[in-house]
Amino acid sequence: MKNRVYILGGYQTDFSRNWSKEGKGIQALISETMEGAFSEMKIDPKEIQVLHVGNFAAELYAMQAHLGALAMSYYPALWGIPTARHEAACASGSIAAMAARTEIEAGIYDVAMVLGVELMKSVDSKTGGNYLGTAAWYEKECKGVEFPFPKLFDRLYDLYDELYGLSYDHLAHIAAINYDNAKRNPKSQTRDWYMNKQHACGGGEYNKTIGTRLRASDCSQVTDGAAALFLASHTYTESYARRHGLDMAAIPYIMGWGHTTAPLRFEDKAKEAKKGGYVLPHTRKAIQDAFQRAGKRIEDVSCIETHDCFSITEYAAIEHFGLTNPGEGWKAVENGMITLNGNCPINPSGGLIGGGHPVGATGVRQLLDAYLQVANKAGDYQVPDTKCAATLNIGGSATTNVVHIVGRGH
Amino acid sequence: MVNEIKKVAVLGANGNMGSLSGGIFAQAGIPCLFFARTIEKAQRGIENAVMQARSDVLREYIVPKTYEDLAKELPGCDWILEAVAEELPLKREFFKKIDEKRKKGSIVSTISSSLSIADMAAECSEDFKSHFSGVHFFNPPGKLLANELIFHPDNSKELRVFIDQFCEKALRRVNVVTCDKPGFAGNRIGFQFLNEAAIHAQTRGVETIDYLLGPHTGRTLPPLATIDLVGLDVHQEVVNNIYSHTNDESHDSFKLPRYVQTMVERKMLGRKSAASGGFYRITEKKDKLALTPSNLDYTKMAGVKDRLIEEIKLSIHDGTYKNAVDIIKRETSEEIQLVKLFTLRYVSYSFARVGDVTEPDEGIHGIDKVMSYGFSWLPPSAWVDLFGGPKETMRLMEKSAVPVPKHLKDAPEKTLCRIPEVTKYLIAYN
Repeated sequence: MKNRVYILGGYQTDFSRNWSKEGKGIQALISETMEGAFSEMKIDPKEIQVLHVGNFAAELYAMQAHLGALAMSYYPALWGIPTARHEAACASGSIAAMAARTEIEAGIYDVAMVLGVELMKSVDSKTGGNYLGTAAWYEKECKGVEFPFPKLFDRLYDLYDELYGLSYDHLAHIAAINYDNAKRNPKSQTRDWYMNKQHACGGGEYNKTIGTRLRASDCSQVTDGAAALFLASHTYTESYARRHGLDMAAIPYIMGWGHTTAPLRFEDKAKEAKKGGYVLPHTRKAIQDAFQRAGKRIEDVSCIETHDCFSITEYAAIEHFGLTNPGEGWKAVENGMITLNGNCPINPSGGLIGGGHPVGATGVRQLLDAYLQVANKAGDYQVPDTKCAATLNIGGSATTNVVHIVGRGH
Repeated sequence: MVNEIKKVAVLGANGNMGSLSGGIFAQAGIPCLFFARTIEKAQRGIENAVMQARSDVLREYIVPKTYEDLAKELPGCDWILEAVAEELPLKREFFKKIDEKRKKGSIVSTISSSLSIADMAAECSEDFKSHFSGVHFFNPPGKLLANELIFHPDNSKELRVFIDQFCEKALRRVNVVTCDKPGFAGNRIGFQFLNEAAIHAQTRGVETIDYLLGPHTGRTLPPLATIDLVGLDVHQEVVNNIYSHTNDESHDSFKLPRYVQTMVERKMLGRKSAASGGFYRITEKKDKLALTPSNLDYTKMAGVKDRLIEEIKLSIHDGTYKNAVDIIKRETSEEIQLVKLFTLRYVSYSFARVGDVTEPDEGIHGIDKVMSYGFSWLPPSAWVDLFGGPKETMRLMEKSAVPVPKHLKDAPEKTLCRIPEVTKYLIAYN
C-alpha cells in the first residue's frame, strides 16, 4: 500500500478546439493545459518534482521538439526539475504515465505531472495522414500510400473477417455508441455533430470509404488537444487529502498495468494471428498482465476506456479484454453490454471516435477519464458506482499496448 | 399544449435561416415538412439542411411542400416554425393562415431577429398567442448554438419550461431568455459594436479599424468584415430598428452612417454582392481592396501594422494572454486607446443591458452566453476577469470616460465568467 501511485486528477482541453485556426502554437496548448490542471486540482507548481510529456510528432506537426523543456518554460517554479518527452506513437501518453508511475513507485519522487499533447490541425489532412504513417514501418508500409492508417486497419478488418466473419453493421454500431456517448461529454470533439447508426451505416458523399472497407464514421478524429494529470506517492497523497478534506479510500490509484510491444509490421502481426487464439496476442498479454498486477478480473471492471482509433480496434478490444470469447465480440455489441447503460460500458467519454484523438494526449486523457469515473466526477457520462476502470492505449497498428487498471479503496 | 413534438412544419424553408433552423429539428430525428412557394425551392432548403448536417440521412426526415399544402398539413403538426421574410405584413398574413389551420395547443415560433413578438401575434386568436414565441437561432445554427427565447406575455409557465427543455435537450441549443426588445440581446449588443466600428471607419479608415479591432480583441472576424458577411442591407435593417425603438446611453452609436446608407442604395451589400463589394471588394485577380468611406472608392490594402498590436497577437499565439491584456490596459498609444475604448464600451454596454434585454436573475451570464455561443465573441464578463476583476475594470472605465453600469458595480470581486475555455475567442490571426 505504501508504494501505491495515486491519481490526483488533472485537466483536459476541449477537444473540439482548432488551435491553428485560433492562431496559437503548441506552447499555448501546453500552457493552458498545465494552467488548467494546477488551478483545477489546487496544486502549486512548485510542488511538482518531475514532468513527463507524451507526444507523438510535434517535430512534424509543429516543428518543435524538446517538449519537456518547452512545457516547464512557462512556470519558473518548475525550472530545474527533471523532464522528459516520450514517444510510442498513439501510446505516447501512456508511456509518459508509465515513466512517472515507475519513478514514484521506486520512491524517487513524490509527485509528478504527466502531460500528453498533440497539435494536428496545423497541416492538411493528407499531410497529417502521411505523418501518422510514421507510427507504422513507414518505408515498408506507408511510403507513397495516401491515408495509410485506415488501410492498415482495413487489414485487421480483413483478418477478423477471414478468421471469424464480421458484419459491418457491428462496426457501425460501435461507432454510433461512441458518438452517442460523446454527446454527454462537454469536452468531446464531436458532441455537436450529427451522427448516428443510420448515418454510420450509410455511405455516400458524407461518409466515404477511406481505404477499402472502413468509412469516415469508423475513424477517430484529427484533433488538437492536451491532457494533464498528477500522479503522487502515498505520502504526498496523504498530505494532499488532509489539505483538501478528502478520504484516502476515495482517491483513485493505479492498481495494475501491462505493457507489451508487437512486431511493427502488420504483416508479421497477421502471421501470428493466423496461428489461432487471440488475433492480437500481445494486446491480450498486456491486458492479462495488468489484471494480474491489480489482482482483478474483467468482472471487477465497471467500465473501459479503450483505444478505438477505428471501430475495428474497439471490436478487437472487446474480446481481448475477455468480455467475450475470441471472435465473438459481436455478441457484446448486440446484447448492449458495451453501451453506457450496459454491464461494461466501453468509452463512456466517447473514446477516440467521438471524443477525439490528439495522438500524444490520448493515453493521458484515458487515464484522466478512468480517474473521473472512479472518483465519481464524470458528470453526464458517469457510469454509476465505478470502483474500478480499465484503459487500453495502443500505438501503431496494435504495436505498443499499454493497459492501466484504476481503482479506489483501502 | 402538446407534450411531444412528433412533426414540425417549417415555413420559409427555402431561406437560409429557415432551412438551417428546420434542419436542426430534423437532426433531432423529428419528421419535418419544409414549406416554400414551389417544391423546387423547398427541395433546395432540404439540400441546405443536408449540407449543414453533413449527412444524406437527413433527407429521410424532411418532406418538401408548397404553401398550397398548408391547410392539409398544418393540423398534423406539433410545432410550426415561421421563417418567412422579415416583413411584418407578410408575417401577419402567414400567421393568419396558421391560426386558421393549426391544431389547438400546437407551438408556433418565429425565427425573427428584430420584429416584436407581441406585435407579430397581435391580430391572432388567444390560443395562438398563448402558444406563440420567438425561438431565434444564430447563423449558422449548425455551428453557433445560441438560441434566444422570447416568450409572449400570454405563454404559460408550462409552455416556457417545455420549450426551454426541448431546445436544450432535443435541439442541443444554449438557451437565453430575452425580453421582447428590438434586436433582443445578441443583435442589440453585437450591432452596437459593429455600427460604432462603421462610424469610426469614416475617420480611421476601413482597413485600420478592422486591423485594430480584429480577432485579437476576442472575435472570429473583424467588425467591418462581419458586416460584409451579414450583408449591409441586414445591418441597416437591424440598426435602424434599434435606433427607432430604443433610447439608451449609446443611442447615437446605432445611427447608420450616411455612407453605409448610400452603399445599400447602390447595392454594395458585402459578400452577397461580390462584384459591387461592401467594406471590401475582391478583384478578378483576387486582390483585396478596402473601401474609402468618403468617396466609396476602393484602394489596395495598405498592409497596416502596429508594433503593440503585433505584440498582442504574438502573446495570444504563445498563450500568454495576460501579457496581451496588460498591453491593452497599460499602453496609451492612439491605436491601443481605440482598442481599449471599444472593448470597455462593449463591456459597459453589455452589463448595462442586464435586466433590460435579459432576465435580471441570470445576471451577465445570459449576455455572456449569447455573445459567445451566438457571435463567437469573447463574452463581456470574461473581459472583466482578464482585466483583473470588476474593480479594476471600473477603474479602467472611469479613466476612459466610459459609463460604469450598475450591474458591474454590484458584481462580486471574483471570477465572473462561467463560459468554459473563453481563451478560444482570443485569436491571433486576422
